[in-house]
Amino acid sequence: MSRNTRPSIGRVVAWACLIAAVVISLFPLYWMLRTAITPGRELAADNAGLLPDNPTLINFERVLGLVGREEARAAGGSGAELDFFLYLRNSVVYTGLITVVQTLLCAMGGYAFARLRFRGRDALFGLFVAALMVPPIFTLLPNFVLVKELGWLNTYQGLVAPSLLMTPFAVFFLRQFFLGIPREVEQAALIDGAGRWTIFWRVVLPMTKGPLLTLALTTAVWTWNDYLWPLLVAPGEETRVLTAALGIFLRQSPNTSPDWTGLMAGSALSVVPVLLLVVFFGRRLVDSIQFSGMKG
Amino acid sequence: MMKKAFMAATAVLLTASCGGGGAGDGSVTLTYSLWDDAQQGAYQQCADAFQKANPGIRIKIDQHAWDEYWQNLTTRMVSGDAPDVITMQASYYPQFVKNGQLLDIQPMVQAEKVDLSQYWPGLAELWVKDGKRYGLPKDWDTIAIVYNVDLVKKAGVDLSDLTWNPRDGGSFEKALARLTVDTEGRRGDEPGFDKDNVAVRGIVPELNDGSQGQNGWGDLAVSNGFTFIDKNPFGTRYFYDDPRLAETVTWFKSLSDKGYATPYDKNSSLGPDAVLNSGKAALGITGSWMIKTYLDSTEQKFAFAPLPKGPQGRKSAFNGLADVIYSGTEHKDAAWKWVKFLGSAECQNIVADSAVVFPAITSATERALAAHEAAGRDVRLFVDQAKDPEGTFLLPVSDHGDEINQIVGTAMEEVWLGQKDATSALTAANRQVNALFAGE
Amino acid sequence: MTAMTLAKSATRARARRRGHGDGRTALGFLAPVFLGFAVFYLYPAVRGAWYSLTDWNLLSEPRFVGLDNYATLVGDPLFWNSLKVTAYYVVLTVGMQILGGLLLAALLHRLTRSLVLRSLLLVPWLVPSVTTALLWMWLLDANLGFFNHLLTAAGLDNQGFLTSPDLALPSVATINAWSGTGYTALLLYAGMLLVPPQIYEAAAIDGTGEVRTFLSVTLPLIRPILAFALVVSLISSFQLFDTVAVTTKGGPVNATRVIYFYIYEQAFTHFKMGYASALALSLVLVLGALTFVQMRLLRASTSDLT
Repeated sequence: MSRNTRPSIGRVVAWACLIAAVVISLFPLYWMLRTAITPGRELAADNAGLLPDNPTLINFERVLGLVGREEARAAGGSGAELDFFLYLRNSVVYTGLITVVQTLLCAMGGYAFARLRFRGRDALFGLFVAALMVPPIFTLLPNFVLVKELGWLNTYQGLVAPSLLMTPFAVFFLRQFFLGIPREVEQAALIDGAGRWTIFWRVVLPMTKGPLLTLALTTAVWTWNDYLWPLLVAPGEETRVLTAALGIFLRQSPNTSPDWTGLMAGSALSVVPVLLLVVFFGRRLVDSIQFSGMKG
Repeated sequence: MMKKAFMAATAVLLTASCGGGGAGDGSVTLTYSLWDDAQQGAYQQCADAFQKANPGIRIKIDQHAWDEYWQNLTTRMVSGDAPDVITMQASYYPQFVKNGQLLDIQPMVQAEKVDLSQYWPGLAELWVKDGKRYGLPKDWDTIAIVYNVDLVKKAGVDLSDLTWNPRDGGSFEKALARLTVDTEGRRGDEPGFDKDNVAVRGIVPELNDGSQGQNGWGDLAVSNGFTFIDKNPFGTRYFYDDPRLAETVTWFKSLSDKGYATPYDKNSSLGPDAVLNSGKAALGITGSWMIKTYLDSTEQKFAFAPLPKGPQGRKSAFNGLADVIYSGTEHKDAAWKWVKFLGSAECQNIVADSAVVFPAITSATERALAAHEAAGRDVRLFVDQAKDPEGTFLLPVSDHGDEINQIVGTAMEEVWLGQKDATSALTAANRQVNALFAGE
Repeated sequence: MTAMTLAKSATRARARRRGHGDGRTALGFLAPVFLGFAVFYLYPAVRGAWYSLTDWNLLSEPRFVGLDNYATLVGDPLFWNSLKVTAYYVVLTVGMQILGGLLLAALLHRLTRSLVLRSLLLVPWLVPSVTTALLWMWLLDANLGFFNHLLTAAGLDNQGFLTSPDLALPSVATINAWSGTGYTALLLYAGMLLVPPQIYEAAAIDGTGEVRTFLSVTLPLIRPILAFALVVSLISSFQLFDTVAVTTKGGPVNATRVIYFYIYEQAFTHFKMGYASALALSLVLVLGALTFVQMRLLRASTSDLT
């Protein structure tokens, strides 16, 4: 491969564009941090420089509830706080449960659609595909009612119920990959007398690690970022997830002005898990997205 | 193997998720919602006193800013999970009554002989509909001008007895012009004034003010002869198409065209108090619940002046809040106890002493005034305005408050943004508003 | 009947018999998925359709009103406005994401294999949308926001990015383009990696410029993945809710009242579940119609490689 390494003007411009893109991607996050360490009372005057005049950690402290209400109010907040570690735990439970269970069950379903023969298969699959086209809000309203009728508002089961067992997308996505596995592999195992379950667990799943991981990561990111559903069904203190907590923290701003420094401190905290993910799983993450790009 | 590990993980997650059960010691926790964080401290003191007297009941205060308060409340009612006791504004409560979300407290008020004559005249009756009573008054408020003392002194204007009319804005507009300073130091009434480069605005108008304009256009419109509704409370026909409202609104819009106010779409998300605190504007129109926020400011020295006199005299909105009980509460008795306490002299005196708002009980009002004066805050004009029999009007109370708020709020936005003139926007809005009542 | 068709039906019969054999196993594999589908997709779909025929405030019993909600909807200017606003938004944000993504992918592809760079570009996609919305609401503040500092430093007027009716929707679209472009770029970059390097070498020998190579070689070859990226961003754009709920709440003057937010408001702030369901079902129909267009798009998307 002979790549052109001569520093032409074109290459310089191209690199400049690429670096600009990285700066645009990251600068807002820097600005968030810069605002988060600005004293709330000074924000109206001190909001332009690259660093605040009097950096402080008070906003993080008051968002985490480490200072009293009056002190928090003096620093520009309403005294509202984020029970960060509780909400983090809730987010982890919500995301973890859905990602693991849904991916697994949908793998089973996708396999059945790809390989097993049974009456009504195509009709059923057609129904799933049709469901793919339906915007989620259409089922969200009745699902909210259902969860309410079951008395599951503000519970974990209410939070995870609609997407724990399946999404049509996951089934559809995995079926595509199972279709691509050569039948001979399974035939050999079948002849050896292995049952469908054994084949699925021992042969098929290990062969589809890639797509499974891609799907799981995507599901995890979607679930982690989900806002409307958790806000509707589980806004209660005990089951509140991070995204809903941020939305509620915004609502609990002081009556006359949003508490920008506190909000940015809360936002910065909510980004920490994401950044950890990038630091530790950067390659996995990038690979798995590119994977869907290659198979798309 | 993998399956087992997975099951184990699920089990761990599930047990983790089931932590934190009920209290189980027979005690009751009431959630009490309010929007003004500035008042939270005073009501926390009330809650402390109440909890001491009622050891079995705990009060949890839930604060949501005004802009989010009502949406939050309706969503939680739909979930069947609203706060047990709710701070309520009169124009919003009818829609909740209509949907059966508020508890009728008339039987309790009667049985326990709550003295309704202790409140400011007119406040308790606002909360009665069709013989049912939904709330006990907690406070009242009137409106005045708040100004930056230094900036006003520098401009040499006198705000103590302003006049206003929608044609030329009277001495009010002259004062605003004088108070506005461009980046070259020229004032708004001086030759060469550059309205596109203004350093200090004459006024920060509260334009995003729903269907009532309590902090500005509503008061001036009424002083111009405008009436909101055919009957208050519970009228069924609004008059938003009244030309006297349109002229008032047009005048407000002209302030930003002349440079005396920031154009509507270029306002910061920070509220008027933050803008005034930064010294970038000279005055605003505000309510008595903001007294402490302004007078205790460490950045600027503020003082209050009465609203300008319009063609029909000086008119301030007179509004009262009340505490109401959510009909879905599981603790009706405890909730009533708390509401009764909130409406009692004991709690209202606590509120008076902390001087954040004027309590609804007449005697407590005097006490609040005394507390203010002891702290060197001159706020008598709010009380004088309230006592003036011709000086106040009640904000309109009717069904569909929420929808009216949205319809009129949007129409006003169209005017502030210059998309429509006031007459056509308000006429269209009024048609929509009255159509809400026609459908019944 | 000819022998051939006889033979065919015989195979079919055999297949069916074998299908019966799989039936029980299939039941095991499918039971959880089917349960989830029946309870949380089928059942709610039926209920949603029923709600749309009722007047229901979620607090008392639903009252059957026939097609009243649909009649209201046809004459509801805010419904049509919300469709228009949504369409405008989708075009803007998808356009920005695809164009930006293509540019970035091409740059990455021709310049570097750096994993760090790709991870950094992906960060915005990982930030929760609520956080993104809050963050940008502050960056775009009409007076104190960073972007207005840039404008005023350049001697220009400050702008109400989220408060002016002309700018609000493009601003919301930009916010979500910020969050989605890196992801799109990665998808497209992966597609470009599949293009055999020899093609580029040949182009280089022919002396074809980078831009022309991109347009005449890369672009046609990555058409399938381009279509995939397009569909992914289209689907997620239609569901815009979070950003609007946090930043503009549909304003100023309905300029950002997208269909999702409008439905949400009807159901949860105006107590109109029946009407909200009718709106949602209409959206299903509109999107169904659009899917036909999409299908044709996809059909036209076979790569020249295959």
